[in-house]
Amino acid sequence: MFCCKDVSQKISESMDRTLPLHHRMFIRIHILMCKYCLRFRRQLIILREAARKIDLSPEALDSALGLSQEARDRMKKTIEAQSA
Amino acid sequence: MVENKDAHPSKLPDPETWVDQYGDYLYRFALSRIKDPGLAEELVQETFLAALNSRKNFKGRSSARTWLIAILKHKIIDQYRKKKPEESREDMEIFPDGVDHMFDDKGSWIERPGKWNTNPMKAYEQREFMDVFYRCLSDLPKRLSKAFVMREMEGQSTEEICKNLDITATNCWVILYRARMHLRHCLDVNWIAQ
Repeated sequence: MFCCKDVSQKISESMDRTLPLHHRMFIRIHILMCKYCLRFRRQLIILREAARKIDLSPEALDSALGLSQEARDRMKKTIEAQSA
Repeated sequence: MVENKDAHPSKLPDPETWVDQYGDYLYRFALSRIKDPGLAEELVQETFLAALNSRKNFKGRSSARTWLIAILKHKIIDQYRKKKPEESREDMEIFPDGVDHMFDDKGSWIERPGKWNTNPMKAYEQREFMDVFYRCLSDLPKRLSKAFVMREMEGQSTEEICKNLDITATNCWVILYRARMHLRHCLDVNWIAQ
């Protein structure tokens, strides 16, 4: 239960539910000794925060993505037709 | 989220301007959840039409954009629910998404997590990071990204995800674990920290 593979799985699970105490202990003890799993946990938190920000402010994405001109025209026509 | 903090309720702009004002924003939002550009476009159009039909329900408590996004989110969730569970299982056969290969037989990392040199709370402010994040997210196998998006963007609980995807709680945790592992690995490889 102390190997990185098991701990990585438990760290991920801890983000989806409250782990029983002994599992929380396993994680803590392991990351005291393993800087890679400590890093891993930090990085999962970064992923979570990034995912939330995509949700809240897509302008943070440096994106040239958008609707094609054709799609825009089509949608405008549909809206026009519907609101008539 | 841009909430209207004024005392006055916000006004809904003329529907004729919606596509130009909100089209790209909604499209990007949809695309980040639904890999298929054609389907994303379809959902944006459906959102506009639904909004058109329920204009009277807009109370102005939030901004027009937030209101439209909410409609879009519901359409996206409905889209997820449409997918039959059998499809997910097929997906797994064609795209094995296990992570056992990332560890040696002692259970240690083969490729150790590298340093990202970024403040966890500020990573999203770095465009380069978000660009790679977005690309990595859209590279995830469908069944993994679906669950990840529901959990991390929709904010659904394990119970809700289980119900929506018709899987057990244990399946759910495994899927989320795999999603995070692949996502993290993709970022490790593709994002070179300053």
